[in-house]
Order: sequence, then C-alpha cells, then structure tokens
Amino acid sequence: MRAVGKRVRRLDAEDKVTGRMIYPSDRVVDGMLWVEVVRAAHPHARILSIDTSEAEAVEGVVRVLTARDVPGLNAFGIQIQDMPVLCDDRVRYMGDAVALVGAETRGIARTAAKLVKVNYEVLEPLTDPEKAMLPEAVKLHPDGNIMHQGHFNKGDIELGFRKSAVVVEGFYQVPMIDHAFLETEAGVSYYDQDGLLTVESCGQYVFRDQTQIARALGLELDQVRVTAPYVGGAFGGKDEITVQIHLALMTYHTRRPAKMVASREESIVAHTKRHPARMWYKTGASKGGKLLSVQARFISDTGAYASLGGPVLNLMMEHAAGPYLVPNVKIDAYAVYTNNGFSGAFRGFGCTQACVAVESQMDRMAHRLGRDPLAFRQANVLHRGDLAALGYEMKLKVGAEATVKSARKGKLWKSKRRLVKDSTRHSPSLAPYIKRGVGVATQMQGLGLGIGIPDYAEVELRLDRDGRLTVYAGTNEIGQGAYTAYAQMAAERLGVPMERVAVVGADTATTPDSGTTTASRTTYAVGNAIIMAAEKLELLKANAGRSEDLSARATFHVPTQDVELGDGLPHLLYSYGTHVVLVEVNTLTGEVTIEAVEAHLDGGRVIFRTGFEGQSEGGVAQGIGYALFEEVMFEKGRFLNTNFNTYIMPSSLDVPAAIRTVPVQVLEASGPYGAKGISETCMVGVTPAIMNALQDAIGVRFTRLPVRAEDVLFALEEGRHED
Amino acid sequence: MKIDLRLTINGRDARFEVDPDERLLDTLREKAGLTGTKKGCAIGECGACSVLLDGKLVPSCLVLAASADGAEIVTVEGLSSKSGLSDLQRAFIEEGAVQCGYCTPGMLLAGEYLLSRYQRPTSDQIREGISGNLCRCTGYTKIVSAIRKTARRRAIRRSGR
Repeated sequence: MRAVGKRVRRLDAEDKVTGRMIYPSDRVVDGMLWVEVVRAAHPHARILSIDTSEAEAVEGVVRVLTARDVPGLNAFGIQIQDMPVLCDDRVRYMGDAVALVGAETRGIARTAAKLVKVNYEVLEPLTDPEKAMLPEAVKLHPDGNIMHQGHFNKGDIELGFRKSAVVVEGFYQVPMIDHAFLETEAGVSYYDQDGLLTVESCGQYVFRDQTQIARALGLELDQVRVTAPYVGGAFGGKDEITVQIHLALMTYHTRRPAKMVASREESIVAHTKRHPARMWYKTGASKGGKLLSVQARFISDTGAYASLGGPVLNLMMEHAAGPYLVPNVKIDAYAVYTNNGFSGAFRGFGCTQACVAVESQMDRMAHRLGRDPLAFRQANVLHRGDLAALGYEMKLKVGAEATVKSARKGKLWKSKRRLVKDSTRHSPSLAPYIKRGVGVATQMQGLGLGIGIPDYAEVELRLDRDGRLTVYAGTNEIGQGAYTAYAQMAAERLGVPMERVAVVGADTATTPDSGTTTASRTTYAVGNAIIMAAEKLELLKANAGRSEDLSARATFHVPTQDVELGDGLPHLLYSYGTHVVLVEVNTLTGEVTIEAVEAHLDGGRVIFRTGFEGQSEGGVAQGIGYALFEEVMFEKGRFLNTNFNTYIMPSSLDVPAAIRTVPVQVLEASGPYGAKGISETCMVGVTPAIMNALQDAIGVRFTRLPVRAEDVLFALEEGRHED
Repeated sequence: MKIDLRLTINGRDARFEVDPDERLLDTLREKAGLTGTKKGCAIGECGACSVLLDGKLVPSCLVLAASADGAEIVTVEGLSSKSGLSDLQRAFIEEGAVQCGYCTPGMLLAGEYLLSRYQRPTSDQIREGISGNLCRCTGYTKIVSAIRKTARRRAIRRSGR
C-alpha cells in the first residue's frame, strides 16, 4: 500500500509548528464582546433572587443575562437535558452558571461579574454517593438521586464460587480526574453575512452542539451554524456543551459578536470529569485456572447532572469482566447524583474504571493460583463465538489473545527477571532500597456508540479536474490525527498522491454529519464512508470527461449487535490491548518511577503509523497520571485544586523514554483496510499494569488511586503486604 | 495610567501602550496579534506561553509587559524565516511531535532554549529542558526525539561534514 500504514506527515503539522493555526481561543471578531460567566457560590443552594443592576451600571457592560433570557429550553445534556443553561431556582455544583456578563473588554466583564448579587439559601451538599442513594437523602433531581442503574445476571454465580478453588474479593476506589486539555473551553459567536447565528467553538460534535444551541434558543436548526475543526485537546471533556450556548445567547440578545475563554480554574470547575467510582469485586476460578464467577458492584458518582453518566456506567458493566470468558456473572451498578462537580465522557468511558478493578483481580487470582499472570490471562480470554460477560456473542474477531501472545514474546516480559534485579543506575548505598517490578494488564474497549444510539458517518469527496481531492467530514481534529488518516485512506483508494489530498472538517454549513469525535470511532466509521464514496467517485470518473469536477457522498452505518441491553449496550466491535510496565520504587522516599512500557495494541490495521504511536505514548502518559498523580479533590462540594500547581499531571520527567508500541494488527473485516480504533485502548490498560507492577516490586496491593509517594511509604511502614 | 512599551518582537520594533498590570502574554496575543503564543494556565505551570526574552526562556504569563521594556522577544512566529521552517520545526513535523498542537509553540521555544545551552544534549537534559512545558497528547516521546534529531543535525552542520 502506498499511503495506508505509512509514517506520513500530519496535514495540520505545519500550521501548528508555525503558530498559524487558529484555535477557537485565538479567534478575534470585529466588535466582539467578552463574556464572563457568574458561577455558583455554593455547591448546593436555592437561588432566592438575582440582582444584576450594579453589574449593568458598570461602564462598558452591554448586557447581563439570566435564566429569564433563555428563549427556548433552559436545559441541555447529551442524553438527558437536566442541566440549566442558566440556573433559575437552584445550583447543584460549583460550576453551575447563574448569569452571563457581556462587556466591551474582558476586564470589565470580570469586574461586573463580581457585582452580580445572587441571594442564596445555602443547602447541605450531598458529597457521598452512597448516602445520596438512601431514600431519605434530599433529591437533587425530581426522580431522585439514582440517575441510572443496571443489573445483569448470567449463569449462577453462587454455584461458580462454590466450585472455585480460589476466590478473591477486593474493593477499589478510583478518583475524579480532569481532562486537562491544554486549550481551555473557548469560542466566538456572531451573525454571519447571511444572518446565520454562527458559533466557532471547541467541541467534539458540531451537529449535536447545533441541536443543543437551537433547542435552548428556540431556533430552527438551519438558523444556527457551528464550526471549529481544530481543537486544543479534548479527550471527551469537550463532548458536552461548554461555551456554545452561552456564546450564542449573548450574540442573540445583543446582535453583537461575542468571545469566551475559560480560565484554567473555571475550566476545571465547570466541565465534565472522569467519574469517580467505588467497585466491589468477587472473582472465583477453578484449580485449573479457569474463571468461574465474577460478581461486581459499582457506584459511580456522576455529580450534579447526567451528561453521559448513564452510558459511562453501561460501559463499566459491559467491561466488568474484562476481555475474559466467565460463565457466571452478576453485576449491580448505580450512577448517583451528588454535588461533587459533574462527570461525563473521558477516554476509556467507564472501561477505564472497570479495568483498574478487573486487572487487579486477575493478578491476585494468578498469584493465588501460582500462575504466570500473562499465561493466566491467555487461558481465560474471550474468543470469537464466546459469550461475553453480559451474555451476548462475540461475533467478530477477538484480538485479546493475540495481544497477550505478543506481550509474552515482547522484550520487556522476556527480560523481566534481569530487569527487576538491575539497580546499576544507583549507588551501592542506595541500591538495596530500590525495588523493581513488572506488571501487566489486558483490556478490551467497545468501539462506537453501541446499539440503540444512532451511529453513522456521512462524508463527501470532491475530485477537481486538476486532480486535487478534498474529503469533507464533520468530525473534529482534537489532536488524534484522524484527518491525516482520512486523507491516507482516500489517497490509497483513489490512487491520488497524499500531497494532493486535503480534509475539510467540522462545519455544520459545509461538511456532512460524520458523527461524534468520540468512542475510538472516527477512523473506522469515517474511513468506511470514505471508501464507499470513493467507489462512487470511481464510477463517476469512468463515465465523465476529463475536465469535470466530480463529487460523491456516502453514509456508513456502524454495524451493531442484534441484542439490545440498554443505551449503547452492547457493542459489536472492540479494540484490545495488553500493556507491560516496569516500575522502580525508592522505598526510602516512596517515589515511583515508570521505567519502561510496552503496549501491544490491536486496533486492527494501523492507518497512520506515527499517529498510532503518538496516541499510544500519550495514552501511557495519561495512564501514569491516573495511577500516580491525578485527583480532583473536594471539601464539601468545593473544589480544592483547580490549576496545574495543585492538579498535578505527568511532565516529561514522569514519562519513560522507553515506550514501545507494538501493533498487533488483527484485521477487522468490517473496517476500512481492516482498521478499528485505538485512542482509548492505548490508555486504559496502563494504570492497572502499573498497580500490578507495584505489587510485584514491593508486595503491596494498592486499591485506591492515585498511588502517591506518601501512600507507598505508609503502605511500606504498615507492612501492608500481600502474598 | 498607560505605560509606553518598546519591544523588539521577532526582529521587528514595536510600540504598545500597556496597563501597569498587563501581562506580556496578553500584549503579544491581543495587541501584537501573535496568537501562536498560547495561554494554558496563566500561573506559569504549563509553559504554553513560553517565549524567549533576551534569549532566556520565560513564561510570558508571569512577565509584566512593562517590565520587558526594551527587550528582544522571540515567539513561535519568529522561528521560521523567508527561506522556510527552522530545522527544529521540520523535526517536529518529521518525528510526529505535534498532536493537538496547543503546547507546540511553547515546546519549540523550550527546545530552542535548551539547544542554545547544550550543543549535544543528553536525553535527560532534553527531558529536563522541556519539563516546564506540559503536553497532554503526546507523552513527550516524539518531542524529545525531534529535539535530539535537531541537535544532531546542528552538530553535523557545525562540524562542516
């Protein structure tokens, strides 16, 4: 192949290294107002009155908007519209928006925002999801605080446990974490020359943003345009509405262009997070090392509003037994409203949380059974035709075993005995206090939105008479490199050189609806649509004269399972991965160093080789952050760490030089050139592999993240060892 | 009160009227229109706003504009010339060091600064040199490779081979 699988140059790289790329935060529109949001002063309170007069009196303030200025539905949310655009009677978390100030300068807007007087009746915040579930708890929403729940039963778990030679129980707690995309939520809005209310904003699905804006403003869809293909990072955190409706509302009322850029503090407080979760597990296996029963109970803290808390919980359940064949499964799961911020989509989307527990349990089981951890996984992985944890059939090729085999053959695993004993870097006096260990984790990740949620991609290809090819696709470039992969697939299929292919993305006015930029789906879904459109284009070309411009459109529908178990449950298609991690622990300081990572990833055919590795390396960094550093902390519903001096994420000194990404290309028949997706699988397994490596190094089983140096020291002092 | 500020930005003289509490970052982005310099945290933690000020790497969010009077500033827009991209910019493209790109301008300036301090930096020196610049996408691996590659190319050029 000439383009597919190659280390091509990113289409957008030159604009990004020269500073020419214009991101939403860089946009300037003549005559624009700066918009500042007045956010809640308490995590839970009733609004008694709002007095905007003092703010309005400030010179340079053009308009102050409150709930009564929302002309349409004063609510938004991807799945359930339970979040107010502007709160009118109650605030439920510190990020709730109460008023908007539009002013001639940012400074004036900020000053005036502080002068909006909101009279609150302060209410006790609900901060413990288990307490929020109790019938006597104050209801945050009309239907109570259990936002979503799921219960699954397969086989007979009790029988399975009785037959088990080894049963391991564990309780795991994972924290809330922030996406920490480097570009905070930002955008501009204006009426264009045709009178279209236009919002250029960060986002992950312009067509849904258009719907949410139109619904809140009481407009028709065709009165609103949303665009901004290039976004400074997202990872799921820009999937839900952030600035879009507020911008549109200010422009709607003032007829003037408007701009918003969130400060980092505001960003961390306001946007969705990774769900904190509590996970109880009981796992049983036979003497021969076969899994017999898995029982899991999840409580996911979804915070103040739903966003995608339901589907995230669904994916936790779907992946509750990992990529393993388990005859008996029982799962009970709850997503609960509290006043702890609000959570939603984040790379891995529920699989991330579940995988921490599943892979810790797998290691403990292997240990108790005296098995090699990778051999134990290999003996239990799902194969095509097996019934997954929730009882449906794995209908497509399953790459789990291939990734485990690849890891077993990998350098890191093969030389682990030598590596674990190697302390040559350290002085003889320190060396005895240095402990090293190797850990693994295997994972699967549902790809696409799952059954029951429309999941399609429409694209348009245009071939000019001079041989230039343009791909029009409505997804965003959030850093992942998908536009380059689109160009490679189009170039490959039509035999056009890469230099002659361009991609136009994410604009409701000029690009077709290619679906969300989420769920590891774009290369697969958009790629398939590109190939379909290319086939049409070839037919047109065969019948056309040389001097014609040609164009063709096609829509690909992501195939689904034939059983439907709930919103997005289950998936048909999965990516797989096995991570191997070498850690080093300084037992005097508790400091943990990640020495090396090997990622054996099955995302089907690799289309954009450099992008594939880049995703993997970035996924390793995020997995390290989840394991060792990151946690959004609260005190009674108030955020404690809202900037990068206190919200610590990995720097270049925390990520190892030795990251090796091994493509395990189990070609997927339904994928473009056999491709699936990789952008979540590459992160999810890293965290539990680190936890397992820590156990290997110092004999301590950590069950609560993040594992900070002080946690390591405390654990060592307490002698909290496990066999 | 406004303060008269003279800067040389990317080799060109420029004059601004600034507020006493105005940050250099805002002067560059909003008055000079140089939006290649990014704002990530505004407290000097993320490095997205890094520029060279009289040859030194600084987070421009922590520099009061007025205090930079008379200084020479290099931003990402000043790295390429009429003859094209700099070797470091080319290496970033070749190695795949760019993803969302929001940290890229700051990373390039951190890279230039460390290459001005070390002719043949070790990997540890490169990692140390960019440790004030956060990246959420790449895991830093390919950024380090791009800087190392540039150091190698410059060394070859210097030795006249």
